[in-house]
Amino acid sequence: MGIKAIYQEHYRLILGSASVLGLILVWELMLTFLIPLNPFFFTKPSLIAVAFKEQVIYGALWGDLAVSSKAFLWGFSFAVLLGIPLGAFMGWRRRAGYTLDPFFTALYASPLVALAPLIIVVFGVGLLAKSVLVFALSVFPFIFNTFAGVRSTDPLLINVVRSFGGGEKDLYFKVIFPTTLPYIIAGARIALGRGLVGIIVGEFYAASEGIGFAISRFGDTYRLPEMFAGIFVLMIAAVVLTEGMRKLEAVLAPWRTTEESR
Amino acid sequence: MVSLIQARNITLSFRPKNRESVTALNNFTIEVAKGEFVSIVGPSGCGKSTFLNIVLGLIKPDSGEIRLNGTPIKGPGQERAMVFQEFGLLPWRTVTANVELGLELKDVPAAERSERAIELIKLVGLAGFERHYPHELSGGMKQRVGLARALATEPEVLLMDEPFAALDAQTRDLMQAELLQIWERTQKTVLFVTHSIEEAAYLSDRVIVMTARPGRTKSILKINLPRPRDYEMRLCAQFNDIKADIWNTLKDELSARSLDGH
Repeated sequence: MGIKAIYQEHYRLILGSASVLGLILVWELMLTFLIPLNPFFFTKPSLIAVAFKEQVIYGALWGDLAVSSKAFLWGFSFAVLLGIPLGAFMGWRRRAGYTLDPFFTALYASPLVALAPLIIVVFGVGLLAKSVLVFALSVFPFIFNTFAGVRSTDPLLINVVRSFGGGEKDLYFKVIFPTTLPYIIAGARIALGRGLVGIIVGEFYAASEGIGFAISRFGDTYRLPEMFAGIFVLMIAAVVLTEGMRKLEAVLAPWRTTEESR
Repeated sequence: MVSLIQARNITLSFRPKNRESVTALNNFTIEVAKGEFVSIVGPSGCGKSTFLNIVLGLIKPDSGEIRLNGTPIKGPGQERAMVFQEFGLLPWRTVTANVELGLELKDVPAAERSERAIELIKLVGLAGFERHYPHELSGGMKQRVGLARALATEPEVLLMDEPFAALDAQTRDLMQAELLQIWERTQKTVLFVTHSIEEAAYLSDRVIVMTARPGRTKSILKINLPRPRDYEMRLCAQFNDIKADIWNTLKDELSARSLDGH
């Protein structure tokens, strides 16, 4: 197989990797040869790599990651547990849906991170406040996507199940839930991003540990390589979570993934 | 003639939101014998699909009597199954799982379900596609699944609501021929709604022509073509005479409807 054939087989992977490596290389070279490096304002990939390695081996990185993950998991779990039933309820009971809709729409549209200071005043510094902030940011995609999913249920399929003698319970389990599931997963992907913002902002404002706190402290003390190492960790976490969600969708909703890849 | 289905003076009105009520069926009366293949043709909106839904048990008429084997129809039941125009397959289920739907809703044990599904998938010529999802199938294949699903519960009456209307002309011809074979083999009673005069003439023992809305029986034509039928019969003079008969009965209704301003 020639180079051309290899390229045609994997061109997506090759182009993606090339652009990332290219960016890193240009960044490194520019600050090595073109622009004199002022470590107070800027840094370069080689320094970040060293800082990252040190953080991983000696630093507080794992501890910070554990602290942040805990708050994230609490907030996100509650967003799932409350958001999905609430969205489903709004979808089934149309009047309830229309009654609640304006509040949720306003809250979803607003940059709720603005509430961070208030949440910290009310819930104090620490796990609880951060979890609440994650919850506040990530619950709405679950509510709205579940709502939309339930409402998009095909009335023909309802008739099909009824025509074979299916009752209310069968409609929920055999039609409405499978219709809604892909919507929920799509909501989860949005919620992940918002939840990560929540954790970081929470730790910027008031915290003594966690990834957000580490980034903020290293920034304040002009330790840019360490700061970027923290951001890098966040990026990895975001990519892993998003990809994980995609895999989950492939397992839970196989009819959708084959549909998209066609 | 022993009547399996007796519909007497069926009247039904719809009340669309903010509009005057529309009488869909007005004193509609028919009888269908056991094992008979009866088609209903009529202008759009004459209530032919509505009538099928009444026989299916999903809609209750305002007045009139509908009986199956002498027992009034009160809701969906195992003796009747519908093949839907838009297929109505559950997109998250494989071919096998779709065929099993009706059996599942009747609590048939899993082993028996899959045995029956495999048998029917073979009958409709879909062997090898058991694990495919609906979106991976062509229109004709989807309707084969719809047919297999309806046959799976072993109904006495097969209700078919323009089942081939969404298919291309050649697939349609093929499906008609296969439906006739399956009908001859399984001895079902078929109530078949269609817009196509040719389809009605080719398939049926009798063709019921309905009036424009509100739908009544305009006339009943007996199709005296020998059984089993084959495609060649469509080319003979007698077949053309039958089509002309149906057309002449129907055409006044079509113009009445277009003058109605709809």
